Amino acid sequence: MSFLFGRARAKTNTAELPKQAREHVLRLDGPTGTAKGDELAKTLSQIKQVLQGTHDTDASPDQLYQLVQGMIDEDLLYLLAANLYRLPFESRKDTQVIFSYIFRFRPPTAAAPKGDAPLALKYVVEKRPQVLVELCKGYNHKESATPAGTVLREVLKNQAAAAIILYDDGNEPGSSQGGEAAIDYERPQTGNGVFWLFFDWIDKSSFEVAADAFTTFRELLTKHKELVPKYLTVNFELFFNRYNTTLVQSNSYVTKRQSIKLLGEVLLDRSNYNVMTAYVDRGEHLKICMNLLRDDRKMVQYEGFHVFKVFVANPHKSVPVQKILLMNREKLLHFLSHFLEDRTDDEQFIDEREFLIKQIRNMPPTPVPPQR
Amino acid sequence: MADEGVASHYQVLEELGRGSFGVVYKAIEKTTGETVAIKHIDLESSEDDIQEIQQEISVLSTCASSFVTQYKASFLRGHKLWIVMEYLGGGSCLDLLKPGVFNEMHIAVICRELLLGLEYLHAEGKIHRDIKAANVLLSEAGKVKLADFGVAAQLTHMKSQRNTFVGTPFWMAPEVIQQAGYDFKADIWSLGITAIELALGEPPHANTHPMKVLFQIPKNPPPRLEGKFSKEFKDFVSQCLVKDPDHRPTARELLKHRFVRSAGKVEALQELIQRKQIADAKATRVKLPVFYQETLHNISPKDDSDEWVFDTVKSTVPKRGTIRSRKPSAAFPLDEGMRKLDVKDGPLQPSTPGTVGRATVRRQPSVAHNQGSVRRISRDGSPRASIAPKRPLQPDMSFGNSGSTMRLFRRVPSDSSTSGQTGSNATDVGSDENRPPPAAVFHPAPVEAHSKEASLGRRLYNKAVEPSLDELHAQTAGSAKREALARLSDAFALLDSVDPEGAYHLLRNVMSSVSQDGKLSAAFLSSNVPPPSKTPLDGTPQGTVVIKSRASATPAPVSPTKLVMSQENPHLLSHRRRGSVAPTASEARSPEKEPRPEKEQRDREKMVMEAKYPGRNVVPGMEHCKALSDLLYARWTDGLRHRWGALAGA
Repeated sequence: MSFLFGRARAKTNTAELPKQAREHVLRLDGPTGTAKGDELAKTLSQIKQVLQGTHDTDASPDQLYQLVQGMIDEDLLYLLAANLYRLPFESRKDTQVIFSYIFRFRPPTAAAPKGDAPLALKYVVEKRPQVLVELCKGYNHKESATPAGTVLREVLKNQAAAAIILYDDGNEPGSSQGGEAAIDYERPQTGNGVFWLFFDWIDKSSFEVAADAFTTFRELLTKHKELVPKYLTVNFELFFNRYNTTLVQSNSYVTKRQSIKLLGEVLLDRSNYNVMTAYVDRGEHLKICMNLLRDDRKMVQYEGFHVFKVFVANPHKSVPVQKILLMNREKLLHFLSHFLEDRTDDEQFIDEREFLIKQIRNMPPTPVPPQR
Repeated sequence: MADEGVASHYQVLEELGRGSFGVVYKAIEKTTGETVAIKHIDLESSEDDIQEIQQEISVLSTCASSFVTQYKASFLRGHKLWIVMEYLGGGSCLDLLKPGVFNEMHIAVICRELLLGLEYLHAEGKIHRDIKAANVLLSEAGKVKLADFGVAAQLTHMKSQRNTFVGTPFWMAPEVIQQAGYDFKADIWSLGITAIELALGEPPHANTHPMKVLFQIPKNPPPRLEGKFSKEFKDFVSQCLVKDPDHRPTARELLKHRFVRSAGKVEALQELIQRKQIADAKATRVKLPVFYQETLHNISPKDDSDEWVFDTVKSTVPKRGTIRSRKPSAAFPLDEGMRKLDVKDGPLQPSTPGTVGRATVRRQPSVAHNQGSVRRISRDGSPRASIAPKRPLQPDMSFGNSGSTMRLFRRVPSDSSTSGQTGSNATDVGSDENRPPPAAVFHPAPVEAHSKEASLGRRLYNKAVEPSLDELHAQTAGSAKREALARLSDAFALLDSVDPEGAYHLLRNVMSSVSQDGKLSAAFLSSNVPPPSKTPLDGTPQGTVVIKSRASATPAPVSPTKLVMSQENPHLLSHRRRGSVAPTASEARSPEKEPRPEKEQRDREKMVMEAKYPGRNVVPGMEHCKALSDLLYARWTDGLRHRWGALAGA
């Protein structure tokens, strides 16, 4: 840890740090890769120190500005994001801290309007969206998943940044690869963009990676109340098809349980009202949901129940949904009267279960086309 | 999350203890031979968000310090999460306190090591939030490590603060209790309390109710270390226990304190470990290790005939490879199908004639295949049909961790080739005619019932089993059935004569299995026998409290387990609701069980509705009408949003 004490040297060449770091990163593959890795670690640690300040001194605003601008100029954000998994343990954590600070940094001379995004974030969203895509791809590796995910979740609070990830679609016209301004919000996605990789990361990775990816995925889908409803409406088929096949019916207990819960969250968000009504109209969706009620695991049954009740409580049930419910009416009534009987403390659940039983019992004997 | 197979890389041994989130086992990593500790967290039994557990893992996995228990890996196995950690053979300081308090020299060493650990954590932007003797582990060599990051927090900014009410009451800093915003300094306070705990055997206020303590800590002057301790030690404690966090020193500053500067080497702590080992050896009550056992419950057998019916089959039956689908060639089967349909499946659209319900049954891919080696669900639906293959180091995995199992394990006669399988043997004896009669048959003289268990077992046979079997035999027609019963009777008689104790244990195990299965216990045990549960034996409550929002005014019951309270806590909610809704809700259920005249039922429903929606006009029996449905639906979605809203980030 001796390099930590080289602060005197660090101070003198703040402006040089991004350039140094860039050179080290680019030579990670070369014959001197290992040595460069060590040097890179030192440089990153110095950058972190400058950004973070120490307990005694903080870097001057000008120095900080110089450093952030230098990192943008050297394209270091992209390089670090793309090579995150290859960095040593401590450097990955340093990189995470560096990203967090840089994406929050605003120039000292408050020339920019107040509502504007921080300097580096604005740059990335407008000119270099690949940085965000590379951060997502951090989920390809166990090493980079946690640091990349932590940075992502902070950045995704910004709507433009979330849009970059949702609308990334390779070289298709209207893909976010051309920056936020280039996005065509009306064009359905092909399903090959980086957002769609999340499904596999969540379903197929090890627990640590999958759980982190899921947390980011949830942030993406619940944070932005204008962006997401629009996105889900345009990409309804693609999204829910993947969601139901890959996540809700996943072999992994955690993926399954969490994604059912998230499904409920998404459907019942007021801003997603139209998405919800479209969702509960589909008989296919009800079938999946009814099978969840019969899952082996009680918590899956329980989470499934909270989606199922949306179908049953819907006053405008579609004909296919009514048909399925009627076809299974007696079974459902019997099933629900014994469903999760040991939840005796959960008054709300018991109330809801009773309500569903009554709703199903009182359904007209033949499907009635819904009137709105 | 595809890591089902990883579990087989570890050989799980005996139980080490029970932490805030689950059971910890000792294990061996097969490839390296290294001893590790594995925490098993049963996700199915935890209502909280899995995200919180993931939080612990992410805090742990970014720690690399010799003062913090090293995280190694984590993976899922079915609905259990396994967290693999460094194994620390010395045990926790709380365990080591059992033979007696520590002397000052030892405490100084522990405090210095803890400060080094806190210095590392705090520099990493982490707050432990639950420092106490129970969470301080020692290696066999005496190295001191911080453990249990169940409630640790990661701050994203160096200067940010936390407001969450978290920790264990006795060890909590005043600013944490007051929820005024706190930072790293909270851990220093807890360290001071821990130092007192090590010196006196328990934290200050240990005899007070934990909830009362929450009021006392902010109100009272800070605790002082009293008694025959050195000036330095007393000063160290008082420096940790400065009420104003701004005037409380940091970990780095405290490392310069004379009390810890003069502390000795960690190897000195080996004395504490040896002392504990000697005390354990002397203890009259020998604690037998509890071995790891695969849990097989929670797998409810799937009943094929109970599947939902989704596909309405038109006159041309689409064949989807369903074996059971019969060609409706003749009029008769079709008719029959329609009659069944009428009775079983409820009225359908008359426009779909010839609909054969249940012709194709949609099945999800069988779970059995998903679980790989974890569990095999037998076709006949017996949840216990699969018993994990025996492994050399786990001699007896077929038995549960209940108190009596270790005895059973020892009882196995040495000449038996199937040791460790007595559970199934007991019922199997004599079931195969081709097998030579068991050796025991040649000892016709009944064994004397020596132990209490044995005499109980004998009594069980004479008073309960034999009369029941006789009666059943008498009532049974059909020679095959009678013969089967007779064989069972003979087998039990044999068991009784040879091993009445075995009979006792057999029934005990059956009873405990029955009581653990919801359906079985409802059917067989009129008064619900609670499953044998293990409770911590510690006198002082060690429970960790997590309160997410200001709910401290609610005098909630404090159990020695983890306590989670939040405004949205379903238990609190139901608590509040129960007062008003409970009686009506139970009434609403009752009409279903015993049918009443329709009018009466309607009146009851009306009452229920009025109880729920006071001041609204409710037409009984018309709840399904559109206007009301809309209303209910809106209420519904609002209620749901309330449940999920916290996460949706409203």
